[in-house]
Amino acid sequence: MPVYILGISALYHDSAAVLLRDGVVVGAAQEERYSRLKHDASLPVRAVQWLLSDAGITASDLDHLVFYEKPLRKFERILATSVATFPRSWGAFPRQMRSWLGDKLWLRSTLCATFGVRPERVLFCEHHLSHAASAFYASPHAEAAVLAVDGVGEWATTTLWRGSGTTLEPIAEVRWPHSLGMLYSTITAHLGFAVNEGEYKVMGMAAYGQPKFRAEVDQLLRWDASGGYALDLDYFSFHWHPTRSGTPALERLLGPPRFPGAPFTPAAFPGDATPEQVADSQRYADVAASAQAQMEEAMLRLVAHAKAAVGTDALCLAGGVALNSVANRRIAKEGPFAHLWVQPAAGDAGGAMGAALWVWHAVLGNPRGPALSRPDLGRITPVDRAREMLTDLGAKFEVVDDPARSAAADLAAGKVIGWVQGGDEWGPRALGHRSILADPRSAETKDHVNARVKYRELFRPFAPAVTVEAADAWFDIPEAAREPVRWMLATADVRPEKRAAIPAVVHVDGSARVQTVDAGASPLFHRLLSEFGALTGVPIVLNTSFNLKGEPMVSCTVDAMASFHRSGLDLLYVDGFRVERPR
Amino acid sequence: MSTQDPASYEPTRVEAWLLRLGTAGALLAMLSRGGRWWMLPLTLLFLIAGVGLLFLQSIHYVAPFIYMVF
Amino acid sequence: MGQLRRALLTPVSEIAWRLPGWPRRLLAEFSLAERGSMVDMLAAAQATPRREMRRKYFLHALDEGRHATIFADRVRALSPGRADRAEAVIEDAGLLQDHGIVGGQTLFERLGELDFLAFVYVAEADAVEQFGVYLDRNLPDAETSASLRAILKDEAFHVSYSRAECERYRKDGKPVDQAIRAVRWRRFKEGWMRFTRDFGEWTSGFWLLVLYFVAVGPFRVLARVETGGWKVVARPGAAGLAAARLEG
Repeated sequence: MPVYILGISALYHDSAAVLLRDGVVVGAAQEERYSRLKHDASLPVRAVQWLLSDAGITASDLDHLVFYEKPLRKFERILATSVATFPRSWGAFPRQMRSWLGDKLWLRSTLCATFGVRPERVLFCEHHLSHAASAFYASPHAEAAVLAVDGVGEWATTTLWRGSGTTLEPIAEVRWPHSLGMLYSTITAHLGFAVNEGEYKVMGMAAYGQPKFRAEVDQLLRWDASGGYALDLDYFSFHWHPTRSGTPALERLLGPPRFPGAPFTPAAFPGDATPEQVADSQRYADVAASAQAQMEEAMLRLVAHAKAAVGTDALCLAGGVALNSVANRRIAKEGPFAHLWVQPAAGDAGGAMGAALWVWHAVLGNPRGPALSRPDLGRITPVDRAREMLTDLGAKFEVVDDPARSAAADLAAGKVIGWVQGGDEWGPRALGHRSILADPRSAETKDHVNARVKYRELFRPFAPAVTVEAADAWFDIPEAAREPVRWMLATADVRPEKRAAIPAVVHVDGSARVQTVDAGASPLFHRLLSEFGALTGVPIVLNTSFNLKGEPMVSCTVDAMASFHRSGLDLLYVDGFRVERPR
Repeated sequence: MSTQDPASYEPTRVEAWLLRLGTAGALLAMLSRGGRWWMLPLTLLFLIAGVGLLFLQSIHYVAPFIYMVF
Repeated sequence: MGQLRRALLTPVSEIAWRLPGWPRRLLAEFSLAERGSMVDMLAAAQATPRREMRRKYFLHALDEGRHATIFADRVRALSPGRADRAEAVIEDAGLLQDHGIVGGQTLFERLGELDFLAFVYVAEADAVEQFGVYLDRNLPDAETSASLRAILKDEAFHVSYSRAECERYRKDGKPVDQAIRAVRWRRFKEGWMRFTRDFGEWTSGFWLLVLYFVAVGPFRVLARVETGGWKVVARPGAAGLAAARLEG
């Protein structure tokens, strides 16, 4: 009888579920793709339904269900922080307590009732241990230093582990409210973006600025001789205020915050903005650049400490901060580790995978298996079902024998296409299964896709996907970043002589968040890139997630058709069918 | 979702309350093991408030009238 | 029923649309409701066993998505550059759950085809009536009225197709009137539940605040915010099943 373990992460943001059969990941799904609510935090009921039905089992077949946090320790932290920040925490306290006392505290009972699992089969794994396990056990490394950096779990905000075989030994941790993740989120909020959503926009904005506020942002963070850090809490209110993460002192330090949705018109593309508006935008870009530079150097310090404490050749990274692809590039390029591995779902969703793998290896004592190699671990729509849906929805479509060749020809002809093939990607990046693709050879493509297809901010860059074979000819990829770039988790410089050939995917600083595609992990997407290369001499396409602003990535045929209708896409390729734009 | 699987576990009301009681006990035990012993009385107080909240949630159709009585 | 509703809606609308800040707030709520409907209609398009209904639900969903955008654009146009609760509402999909609009089971899963169609019919007919009242009074302004007029055309189509489908069920001997009554009762019950939830949240929040000042305050002297820097971790990383069962 195979052993089934279900990992669950939920109730903060990005809930997800992962199913293991005898220690092998058979499916991984984020609830937002099913509920259609971006960053859905509710218990992943629909994701679990899909995982169980796809595996042909029911809840009674589950040997263990493991939640990615220890809820009582988290409650302790929230209550203790409220007491320690009395009376400033009066605004946050009632809503936090209502949510915990009325619901979250009684998680064991809720999990049993919701998923139909007996209480003795329900397990709990610490938040940062879930992160660390998601990075280490899913990696190909038998020995590694493991670093998890995020906002917060129970008490820990940054943890360092020694991974060896099937054990993860904790070494040290930084505790709440001192948190690099919360520092970056506070700057994100200051720059007018939503916390837990807009952090990557800060990364994009940073490229338009200079780190002119470096001295100011350095006042927010102090380093000690042991390589640990502490926030200057005079500037932060996230640990006691219900909605604001920075204090007035932060505004005095960095200037007035940016309004959400305010136009961003820095010196690089002022448009018809007034000089004052340009100056304001430039200041925000400079704040973003300063915060980004600070984050990169903070990560380099932590990584140096990890090397000194653990001494292995490999580093595994997880936690929301590990999604900072620019910092990952610097870690790979300037850091002391020869190999870097980052969990593709490095944020809280990945905790579901880590918790499940922890049970299999650390609790049940089973040996390591193969590393995570494929991105398409989510829902697949059977071809017959896709055909039925397209027919019923009145789509004008044709069956294409070779979607890769056909799509490559359309891309070369300047079409912008939706590309839905196989299973959903695991993690926040579209890696050629739920992607919008376009020809990267024209500079106008970027503005066109931002403004007319995805309806999002013009400053947002787009990523290139390239065949792994051609990657080095086009990009300067640090040796240690070979694995992260497979998952679009590290940026690389576009080789200067190639930049003019692919202007739509070169960021203003000459970098790109490249994804290298190998034939083993994504055969169809790899062939599309090869076909496009054969037609144009450029084995690269612009690749961005197939979603519209404020919505999660599409998952099934109906979602794809709805986004197709509501966007400016020219064509849709869905599971072997080529769908034309409705008139 | 458990209704789709006849063999799956569905706690009765009594079992659900017993599970919650177990959680409350585990919380108090955790605090007494750790260094924050002073949180014990506070936590006990809020656990009682939590039971009240759960009770009111279970009868939310008439909750406003009960709140008015109090 | 209709006249009574209209008689109630008229003065309420006159007041609500003229309160400072409320037009933005109401339009943001409309935008959110339309987004919720889009999600529900797409789920119905996916789940319906009646293949001939799939396209209707799908087109309905596209309309709702367009309406959500129209309302969101009006929110932004009414006060450009202003960031407030209304702006946050239209940006935050998570609030759909807080509003009970979607989440858990989809509406289609909860109701089944007939009751779902009855729900669509009742909800859309109510919306037509509601928007009609606003248009009669040109509320809240001429531009929004123009947007409402465009939306009303789509809503009329939604009413007509859902009514036609209900009639088809009636011809097949299905209890359509019963379904419509059940839907009306359900909408009333859900409105009451929302009220009890909001009232309960407010009241429990009040009592928790009282407890905060009475009970939490005295413990302040014993509590400290953690200091920064690395802390050595003593607990083991690996654990047996018994430790893994612990919630804390």
